[in-house]
Amino acid sequence: MSWIQQLFSRRRLYDELSEEIRAHLDEKIEELVARGMPRKEAVASARRDLGNLTLLEEDSRAVWRWPSAEDFFMDIRYGLRTLARNPGFTAVAVLTLALGIGANTAIFSLMNAVLLRSLPVKNPSQLVLFGASKWGGIMDEVPSRSWQLFSFPFYRDVQADKSVFTDVTAMESMSNDVHGIIGQSSESEAIQARLVSGTYFSTLGVHPILGRTFTEDDDRIPGGSPVAVASYAWWKRRFGGDPSIIGKKMSVGPTVYTVIGVAPAEFFGTTVGESPDVWVPLSMQELLPPGWKGLHDKLFQSLYIIARRKPGVSVEQAQANLNLRFQQFLHEIIGSRPTQKQLDDIQRAFIELTPGALGISRLRAQFSKPLRILMAAVGLVLLIACTNIANLLLARATNRQREIAVRMSIGAGRMRVIRHLMTESFLLATLSAILGFAFATWTSKLLLLMVSAGAQTLPLSVAPDSRVLLFTLLVSLVTPLLFGMAPAWRAARIELNSSLKNGLSAAPVHSPLAKALIVAQVALSLVLLIGAGLFLRTLVNLANVDMGFNKNSVLLFQIEPASVGYKEDSRLARLYEQIEQRVTAVPGVQAASFSMFTFHQGSWSEDAWAQQESPEVKSNREILYNKVGTGFFSTLGLPLVAGRTFDLRDTANSLKVAVINETMARRFFPNMSPLGRTFRFGGPDAKLENDRTVIGVVKDAKYMSVKERRWPAAYLPYSQEVGYLWDFEVRYSGEAGSVVAAIREAIRQVDPRIPVTGVGTLAEEVDRSVVDQRLTAQLSSVFSIVAVFLACMGIYGLMSYSVVHRRNEIGIRMALGAQHGQVLRLILRQGFLLAAAGVAVGVALAFVLTRFLGSLLFDVRPVDPVTFVCVACLLMLVSLAACYLPARRAMRVDPVVALRYE
Amino acid sequence: MRNREHRDLFPGALEMMILRTLKRQPLHGYALAQYIKQTSNDLLQIEEGSLYPALQRLLKEELVKAEWGVSCTNRRVRIYRLTAAGTKHLEREVSRFEKMLDGITRVLAPGEL
Repeated sequence: MSWIQQLFSRRRLYDELSEEIRAHLDEKIEELVARGMPRKEAVASARRDLGNLTLLEEDSRAVWRWPSAEDFFMDIRYGLRTLARNPGFTAVAVLTLALGIGANTAIFSLMNAVLLRSLPVKNPSQLVLFGASKWGGIMDEVPSRSWQLFSFPFYRDVQADKSVFTDVTAMESMSNDVHGIIGQSSESEAIQARLVSGTYFSTLGVHPILGRTFTEDDDRIPGGSPVAVASYAWWKRRFGGDPSIIGKKMSVGPTVYTVIGVAPAEFFGTTVGESPDVWVPLSMQELLPPGWKGLHDKLFQSLYIIARRKPGVSVEQAQANLNLRFQQFLHEIIGSRPTQKQLDDIQRAFIELTPGALGISRLRAQFSKPLRILMAAVGLVLLIACTNIANLLLARATNRQREIAVRMSIGAGRMRVIRHLMTESFLLATLSAILGFAFATWTSKLLLLMVSAGAQTLPLSVAPDSRVLLFTLLVSLVTPLLFGMAPAWRAARIELNSSLKNGLSAAPVHSPLAKALIVAQVALSLVLLIGAGLFLRTLVNLANVDMGFNKNSVLLFQIEPASVGYKEDSRLARLYEQIEQRVTAVPGVQAASFSMFTFHQGSWSEDAWAQQESPEVKSNREILYNKVGTGFFSTLGLPLVAGRTFDLRDTANSLKVAVINETMARRFFPNMSPLGRTFRFGGPDAKLENDRTVIGVVKDAKYMSVKERRWPAAYLPYSQEVGYLWDFEVRYSGEAGSVVAAIREAIRQVDPRIPVTGVGTLAEEVDRSVVDQRLTAQLSSVFSIVAVFLACMGIYGLMSYSVVHRRNEIGIRMALGAQHGQVLRLILRQGFLLAAAGVAVGVALAFVLTRFLGSLLFDVRPVDPVTFVCVACLLMLVSLAACYLPARRAMRVDPVVALRYE
Repeated sequence: MRNREHRDLFPGALEMMILRTLKRQPLHGYALAQYIKQTSNDLLQIEEGSLYPALQRLLKEELVKAEWGVSCTNRRVRIYRLTAAGTKHLEREVSRFEKMLDGITRVLAPGEL
């Protein structure tokens, strides 16, 4: 008989077996009776001789089965039946666990997208990044430390050498968010373009799904490759996936580009959290607005470089070789007669190769720590959920003692019972994991919105991939071990006799395990609550930081004249002035000004030197600069402390002037009035024409982030420093919506072609700058509330159970004259002791753990006594409240009923 | 694997005795149990029930086959008989057992102690 036949004919086999054994028994009884034994005795004797019937049948059947697999399926069937019979228990347990698993999966999805997922390119592990790529922008100083941004000539130099890298590619660290006209369209539209080297796609091993990509030749002639590769998303969005996109013309600024290919769907570029519309060869840098002129400049360092390591070349070898080349290159920069300082500087210059598989991401730097902390927090929540379910299972095992005893008395071994109970736990976890996974796919989108903190959601895929799936699977396998093992072990260790006789025996409240679980729960939720408390205090502190400017009622615009052909000359300054005048005249507008940067939008720093400077400046002369219009200080509400701000007197031909902040005044002009004095931007070695005369001093402000130290800063009038300005700020009163429309109209009147984008408010920008802090505070609060809720459920459950079990005792006490209050205290005391133990353990734990939060906190110590004390008291109160209901029930015990119940 | 059959015999002994008995004549379960009990002079303490798992094992390995019939006491019973493979298996087992017994006897034999 083949095993398949066996499988189908088994039911018959089993029936025959039962019949046979019954027949055996009957025959034996008949014989004994025939020999003169009384029938009753004969039955007993026959059974005794035959042995354990059930076990016997089971063993006989076992011959035909794949024992472990089939036991497993039987256990599952039985487990499902048991769970279905206790819908209340099942629902509570599954929901609790699903919440825990879901939250873990959601955070993990986000962490996966930001921190773990590799670029969708060929062999990502072979890729190396030059430096950590955490900077962005243009560095024009001679490298003197671990370096991250590089010039086009250096890229060409490395790319030509094939000794350690098979391929090398460079990309602009800054984005070119331009406006262009596609085909015959009459309207210009926003296009996110990224400048990349001709080797970009070949280095990454990304093949177009349509047309072709760039080649090394595209790097050769500056301005000679007016071509573009479209991203899949843009192709779908803008062209409806029409294959005729190849050959389409796109005019941006002075140049007409031809679309030559479409990148595959999964390829979003090399920066996580960005998804450009088109890629354009780096050789077009000077023609693609805003038209940086860095192709020939060895000190115009603005590129990220990614290279593919040659097989067999170690990272160390590659790094050694690369740095040799880097040093050579730097020696060329400083020329044949370098100063000693220059030599010392480049001696310290160094390129560290970092793994390139994950691509470039400033998101990663920003969210790496918060996400890890949140992952730990949400892991603790799951742990608390597990202890809760462990306690539920313990209580249930007590109720099931009789069932288990029966099962054991008819021959189930202890391992069998444990396995059966564990199967139930695994079933619970599996159901919860399915539910939690569904929950997570929804919440992870919500999380992404929270991380994005803006009008536009980050183009980041948080959809669960195989790694997320694996994570959930792993969690659902580990959790039942956590919550199911101890109760199952304990349940299988019962006294058969007493259990069968008594039904209910020892209450779980007397079990040290149950108590320990409650203490652990309270302790863990205390840790979470303290963490959340610290983060909330941080958020409040951040919100209360004096920004130095008035963030309310300021609109931010991005206006981009470069796309419609404005060059960096006096015509540009006139355009800015005209727009400022028109917009200021709009009803509801109080002031308006262009500036190079506003808060959190970027910065420009350079050295400064003043004759009277204080000695402390010598070690660090870096200050922040900004180019601004005449209305800048009134628009932002930056108070003037001395002198005057810019006005119409400051023209291209008048004395070069500057307004400085208080910190700069104190450092560069100690103990004197800075008004009328000069400083030189660029440092002591800079040219004489870099001298600027101070005409005013304004209050310090925050420039890049809320947490930053006090920066010395200088403002220069754009009328004297021609160049593109990225931001346009407007202070308004009244209703924002109508003002925005009027402002747009005013700008259109100046030049209808100029694209206006990025309307937002300064307050939003300030909010956005602390998005990582807000995310941490909000999520950890939610998690800790869930944790406390679970802990309370745990306490409530245990105390209720204990009251039921102590009913007799309470009844006797009351019969002997105990007052209601005394009974209440009796139960409350029990709960209080557990909670107090939990709080004590939790405080000790928090003392150790909060140290790891250090860098995420602001103006609050990791062991902040206020937070610790408040949270501990809060938790004590809440847990006592959770004890109160069961205690009140105990108080109402009617002694007569309680004693009769016995 | 679990092993809850606490029998005094070595593994395979019960199967061997069943096969030997069935070689003499086909029998049903109860008769088989009685026969083994009597012939061993009640020396071997065999739990009657343990016969059935053993019979199932033999059935599975196709060393015996079973068919429903009527016993001498007029009951519907399953009668087991030896197959060709069973005969061969029995011979092999018996010779193996004899060798083993021989070995044990030599060791246990009163000699120069």
